[in-house]
Amino acid sequence: MMLRRFFAWLRRDLRATISLAFLLALGLLAVCAPLIAPYPVTAQDVDNTLASPSAAHLLGTDDLGRDVFSRMVHGGAATLYASGLAVGIALLLGLPVGLLAGTLGGWVDDAISRFIDALLSFPSIVLAIAVTGALGIGLTNGMIAVGIVFSPQLARLVRARALVVRQELYVDAARCFGASTARILWRHVLPNTVQPVIVQVTLLLAAALLAEASLSFLGLGIQPPSPSWGSMLARAYQNMELAPEQMYAPGLAILCTALAFNTLGESLRIALDPTTKR
Amino acid sequence: MIAAARWRVIRRRLLQALPVLVLATFVVFSLLKLMPGDIAITLAGENATEERIHEIRELYGLNRPFLVQYGNWLAHAMQGDLSKSLANGEAVATSIARAFPNTLLIVVLAMAVALGLGVPLGMLAASRPDGLRDRLVTSIASLGIAVPNFWLAMLLVAWLALNFGWFPATGAVALKDDPLRALHHAILPALALAAGGVAEVSRQLRSSLVEILSSPQVRTLRAKGLSAGVILWKHGLKNAGVNLLTVATLLFNRMLAATVVVEAVFAIPGMGNLIVNAALTRDLPVVQGVVFVMVLVVISINLAADLLYTVLDPRIS
Amino acid sequence: MTNAHDAQAPQPSTAGLTRRDLMALAGAIPLGGTAWAQGAAPQRGGTLKVSANANPSSLDPATGGAGTDHSFLWTMFDTLVEWDYDTLKTRPGMAAFNFPDPRTMVLDIRPGILFHDGTPMDAAAVKFNFDRSRSDARSNIKADLQNVAQVDVTGPLQVTVKLARPDTALPAILSDRAGMMVSPKAVQALGNEHDRKPVGTGPWKFVSWSANEKIVVTRADKYWRQDRGFVDGIEFLIIPELATGLRAVVAGQNDFAYQVPPRLMPLIDKAKNLQKVTGPTLYCLQVYFNLAKKPLDILKVRQAINHALDRNSFVKASLAGVGEPAYMNLPKTHWAYDETLVKLYPHNIDLAKKLLAEAGFPNGIDLTVGSYTDQDSVRRSEIVGEQLRKAGIRLKYITGTIPEISGQFFGNEKKFDMLLSAWTGRPDPSMTYSLLYSKDAYFNAGRVDHGKALTDLLAESRVAERIEGRKLIFWQLQRNVMEQALVAPLAFQYELVAASQKVKGYKPNLLGKPKYEFVSLQG
Repeated sequence: MMLRRFFAWLRRDLRATISLAFLLALGLLAVCAPLIAPYPVTAQDVDNTLASPSAAHLLGTDDLGRDVFSRMVHGGAATLYASGLAVGIALLLGLPVGLLAGTLGGWVDDAISRFIDALLSFPSIVLAIAVTGALGIGLTNGMIAVGIVFSPQLARLVRARALVVRQELYVDAARCFGASTARILWRHVLPNTVQPVIVQVTLLLAAALLAEASLSFLGLGIQPPSPSWGSMLARAYQNMELAPEQMYAPGLAILCTALAFNTLGESLRIALDPTTKR
Repeated sequence: MIAAARWRVIRRRLLQALPVLVLATFVVFSLLKLMPGDIAITLAGENATEERIHEIRELYGLNRPFLVQYGNWLAHAMQGDLSKSLANGEAVATSIARAFPNTLLIVVLAMAVALGLGVPLGMLAASRPDGLRDRLVTSIASLGIAVPNFWLAMLLVAWLALNFGWFPATGAVALKDDPLRALHHAILPALALAAGGVAEVSRQLRSSLVEILSSPQVRTLRAKGLSAGVILWKHGLKNAGVNLLTVATLLFNRMLAATVVVEAVFAIPGMGNLIVNAALTRDLPVVQGVVFVMVLVVISINLAADLLYTVLDPRIS
Repeated sequence: MTNAHDAQAPQPSTAGLTRRDLMALAGAIPLGGTAWAQGAAPQRGGTLKVSANANPSSLDPATGGAGTDHSFLWTMFDTLVEWDYDTLKTRPGMAAFNFPDPRTMVLDIRPGILFHDGTPMDAAAVKFNFDRSRSDARSNIKADLQNVAQVDVTGPLQVTVKLARPDTALPAILSDRAGMMVSPKAVQALGNEHDRKPVGTGPWKFVSWSANEKIVVTRADKYWRQDRGFVDGIEFLIIPELATGLRAVVAGQNDFAYQVPPRLMPLIDKAKNLQKVTGPTLYCLQVYFNLAKKPLDILKVRQAINHALDRNSFVKASLAGVGEPAYMNLPKTHWAYDETLVKLYPHNIDLAKKLLAEAGFPNGIDLTVGSYTDQDSVRRSEIVGEQLRKAGIRLKYITGTIPEISGQFFGNEKKFDMLLSAWTGRPDPSMTYSLLYSKDAYFNAGRVDHGKALTDLLAESRVAERIEGRKLIFWQLQRNVMEQALVAPLAFQYELVAASQKVKGYKPNLLGKPKYEFVSLQG
């Protein structure tokens, strides 16, 4: 039944379909990267640097003569992994904290809310620098930092929903019948937060993508020589006068993927909550 | 005179702000202290020896207990003394006083563009929902939100600055020194920042306008014969004002954080640059100082917004 | 003993030379001093705007530490001893020096030199500076003067330095931070604030310093030399990102950018309004080893790494040809260079593999390397990683900021097997070798004792007097270091400067830290 509703939705919403298809194709590309990429990502050819696209190199070569297409494919894998990891961490941290704050209320809620306010009030990049500083620079650590930075937003969202649900009569009824807090959380509050969380997750995936690119741009993300779209952009910035066209491939890739995530999120928001005005 | 209610709002907000201020600076301080390494090695420089590094640590009190260092800093900060940079001895307050206007100029310009373009676009889209114009605006908005702002910055530099030479590619000029040149330097970074803002503002405005315009009150006004344009302007916008204010506040805060990468692309000596460099070199007083100021700014903006709410919508207390 | 009368008359001037002449100077045999072009005294005036690539921690020579500070410091501070731009051979600066015996150095100060605050630069001032550099808690240069036992004023313009041990590197040391004289009155009045308001005797005096933004200096009124310091003022705009600093010059916002990454040279060529100047430097890109970590304690492994590196290809790929391969810690034009060492480690992948197999690693080895996050370091690490991979040496890179990674490698944590970094060079080669290879040196990551022969040679190098004798000792020293493969030098990066057409007279020096004393602005 769910599956039928799903396909019906897809048929109705063209944008959602395109976005989903794009993301699935990207995922497939990422998983099959070793099979698809014609060259190893580290193979340098210092006599053929910054070459234009050709039959041998679909997207040309970078400033060390490495094949850009291969690096884009592998970079896509790294970038998608990065987004997924960040959002995963955000969920892991934000969901329980928000649930707790919203359901328990009282001083627990106050304390948690203050903490969230504090975290949200200073620039996230400092948090990212601090966390990568403590854990060491690398894609995984950087994305953990991003996940930590995103978790307050999720926590806030979940908390708000939990607060609403708490007021609902049926929760009071359940309490009357002696249901424990944990049971209430699990059976009543959680299912009602799923929908907005799903929507927020897609939006956060887009934001995580951009965050990875920013971190790599500042040199705090993926370690060389592994590629990611963000680090390729950072390199392109270095060579901006020599070869401005190096900027386009990674930038467009990030743009399209973020767009796909966002579009999907918006479509989901409309589909899942019929009361939302378009 | 400010009504008593407003005073209460202000006072309550300030009281709420204090723990946030302390908490934020404490969190940052702890995180930075958790990081390995300290600034002693940088200060020892090329002629470093083990003894020299140890000497420097003693000299700057980097070896003192954690809470003592934080407590010391907090005590001074509350009296307005933000201490000195460990890296170069400049008073933190001086560095911030110089960097903040550069960042502020870009953010204010970006907000002006975001509102100046976003509001008309939102109104345009809402005037005929689901029409061609609406779809166009919505698509542009989606694009604006998805574009990485530093990529946009790079594109702007490559085309408008390097290729055509219409704008400078790097740096900033203080507003008080030369307003025209300051603006000239700030336009490209502001545009890079504003893209997301235009998108956000137009989208939010559109959806709240659509909601208002389909409400019973408006339908009554239409029935009475008022033109669509007048309704949009007088009734729609005023009521959407609250929503717009929320969006604008959130946007301002987000832009403050987002300037970091844009400042890196344009080599602008602003707050983002200041704090990133300080964090990377473990220059604790500077990081603390910047966080302190930024939290204060965010709190003030939120406070101003709260007060504006009461003006816009007397129902809100 | 060493007599400072080797010195020739005042400095060479390149005023009036065309761009082609400047290019001809690049990489050529050292010219020594050339006389003034007849009647072509450079024009005075104008403000030079420089894209500077780092922010100093202090503008006081004794309390600062970064190698990038010198180009700021040299505008405001003259040194007791100076050097020839091309070879770094020492000659008198503010003082003439001689050694009546190996443990005594006498400095005869030139008369008529004033600090920017009007106080005289005399023997008392010099003694004050020596004592401060040796004993102040905040002095970073105590180690430089460790052989100095006592400093006495023996005349209004004469200072006698008594040494605990003979130290023939001392004149060169006095051409660096230790020789930059600060005004005693200013230090006593300002205390720590002097870091931010320095007072020296240089061609320009301090005006202002906005941290991470700008340093401004202006002409010193009563400068003691007429043949230097032609521009009215210099503004250093601090732009840490090298490509961005160059961009500012291309766009005409600044006049001068130095230490430009060589791969950006096509941009300078493309921009029609710029001139470029190149010259050899002591800046040695190299791979440091921590010999206390296995398997780098095995000689054959280190030799294998040296054979696996393709230095010529590195110069081409990383430095766009603006540099030279490094076979030891000194470049071709240095007076102590030994060309017999060039053939010691030719590029030979098969030999590298064979050596690894003999050392017990037929399947290659895995090593961790520390490196930095800036794009040029990342590029270098990628090139080196690929070169070594072909010989079965697999590198895992860990990046971070310079102070962090260097601190972790050289300091107590002893992370990583190797460090891909550079050695900025010192005025005297004995300083380089003792700072890198003596047992307790900070930059000897493993704190390993490299043998009595090396230790003895290091000691001798500070004692030997005449330059011919010292040259032979350094040849032996370098051979010892390279035969033990204590390091894997990669290449010397040449100075690359981009300047607008109106900048005349700039001459690069072997130390690689720009001096602006001969620069003038025309047009």
